[in-house]
Order: sequence, then structure tokens, then C-alpha cells
Amino acid sequence: MNSVITKTKNVTVLEILDRVLDKGVVISGDMVISVADVDLIYLGLKVLLSSVETMKKLRGSSFVGPMQEAK
Amino acid sequence: MKLYLYSIINSSNQIKEEIYGLEGSSVYNIPYCDIGAAVSEINQPIQEVTEGDVLEHEAVVEKLIADFTVLPVRFQTVINGKDNLLSMMQSYYKDFKDNLKRLHNNLEFGIKVIWPAEKIKKNIIKTLKNKEYIDSGDSPAKRFMNGKLEKYKIDKELETQADKLTKAMDIFLSKFAAEKKLEKLKTEDLLFDAVYLVEKSQESNFRVAFEHIKSARPDFKYLFSGPWPAYNFVVLSKQSSLLGGSNQANVFDTATKYQALVGAESI
Repeated sequence: MNSVITKTKNVTVLEILDRVLDKGVVISGDMVISVADVDLIYLGLKVLLSSVETMKKLRGSSFVGPMQEAK
Repeated sequence: MKLYLYSIINSSNQIKEEIYGLEGSSVYNIPYCDIGAAVSEINQPIQEVTEGDVLEHEAVVEKLIADFTVLPVRFQTVINGKDNLLSMMQSYYKDFKDNLKRLHNNLEFGIKVIWPAEKIKKNIIKTLKNKEYIDSGDSPAKRFMNGKLEKYKIDKELETQADKLTKAMDIFLSKFAAEKKLEKLKTEDLLFDAVYLVEKSQESNFRVAFEHIKSARPDFKYLFSGPWPAYNFVVLSKQSSLLGGSNQANVFDTATKYQALVGAESI
């Protein structure tokens, strides 16, 4: 949980959400109880609202100002 | 016993560092042949996605990349017991091995470039008007047709400019990358949305290349993220046949759709 904060890279939550929820290995089969492959609108409402907020913040920043950028 | 799966790793040895995952449980390696599955025990499959859980998942994967080559597994993958996990490992073993070999010593970087599309459009309109390509017309029908033609010309010119810029950026960055995935004009403002797979030894060159691009166009906005585990570059033959590319809504797209549903301001 704290690595995102303690790590030197400073990325938006949206970047993390995009990867963790939508990318990576998807295991299929009877042995799998669950995997996040249901409609994200229903399952991840809270997360999506957060991501919308993130986008709004980015959008609201001045155009010449830097966006979040890894060092 | 339910096992929450974070990553496939290129080792059958135990994880030396103490890592805690979801529900505060220890993350450990379940070996299969010469590879392993980094898991923690979990009481219940996760019922809802929360930002905290997603960040916990990512934190575990990020800690693992310090010591291993990892294939990050999608959030909320829970497997019913060790026997089932080993059976899954057996079934995917070749795929996992191929990917671990391909991605060894490579990291993923994300680059997004936002350009001032509205301003560029205005400039295009100005240029077209100067060349008298845009005629305001006199009759309503002519005005309608001219309006359509004008929009077509503007969109085409915008795309031509976007093409030139994305190609130039990509050529520069690709010099230091092993693989890439690139989308142009995903939205009107999002000129360049790319992920690059970069060898660890090329990381500094890649960053320098990015800095050059930034200084060449300081009027654009940039988002550089990474190093990431190679989320975007795992290619499983079983997975690709199941998903047919990606049938899951991208969070960005889904967020946009959700916002449209609730009638919020466009992002």
C-alpha cells in the first residue's frame, strides 16, 4: 500500500488503475474463483470515480505546468 | 485455502524480503519446476474494487520486481487452493516461461503527450481561410455543405499533423526500446499514448530521449511513468484467444463513459 508513496516515482493513480485492472496475466479456468473481468462500471464504481477525479485534476492544472512525472 | 495471485516469477526459491499483501497476509512463492507463483492467503474473494486494494496489489508486484522477473497478474485473481494453482501452472508453464525469458531485464515505461488540440485547430482554420479553402457561402445549403467540407479539412489536417509528430517522437524513443504499443489521438487532446518495453541497460538513454522530446515541444504536456512491471507486454496464447485482444473496457474509456452517464463535465 505504501510503496506508491514511498517510491520515488510519482505517478497518477489512473496509471496504476489502468494497468492493474486492465492489463497483465488473465488466468482462466475452473480453478479460478474470481478475476476482475466483470463490467468495471458496476464493480469498480469507487475506483472509477477516483480516476475521473484524477483526470479532472490533471485537466485543471495549468497547461504549461508539468504533469506527474517520474524522476 | 484460497490463494490471491500477484505474479508469476522466474524463480522457485522463496521470497527473501518480507512482503505483506491483501488482508495483511505474507506473500510467499509456490514453486512449479523452475518458476513460481507469488501468492498470499485470503479469506474471501474480493467483493468490490477499492483504490486501496488496487494499490496494495501493485505495491506487492513492484516489490517483487526488485528481485525477480515478473509476469504481473490481473487484480483480483483468486485460486481455490494449492492443487488448483499447481494445475494452472502446469497448464500455462510454456507460456509463462516464454514470457519470462522475453521480459527478463526489461521494464515498461508509459508516455502520454497532450497537445493543445483546440489551439491547433484554430491555427488550421486560420491557415485554410488564408488560402481561401473555406468559403462561408451564401445559401443555407451551400453553407451546410461548406461547413461539412470545412470540418473534414480541419480533421484531416489535424490528423496529418498528429501523424508527423507521433512518428517523430516514436522514432526517437524506439531507438532505445525493445517493444512498444502506441496509440495516436486516443482522444482529440491525447496526441500520443504509448508504452515501451526498455532493457534496464537502456533506461537512462530512454529517459534522455524523452527529455529531448519535451524540450523540443515545451508547449505540450507530458506524462512519463515507470519503471513498471511489464503489464502491457505479457502475451499469453491462452489469454489472447480468450480475450481476442482486449474486450475489457479500458479504465480511461470506462471512466469517460461513466462520466457521460452521470452527465458530468467532459474529461
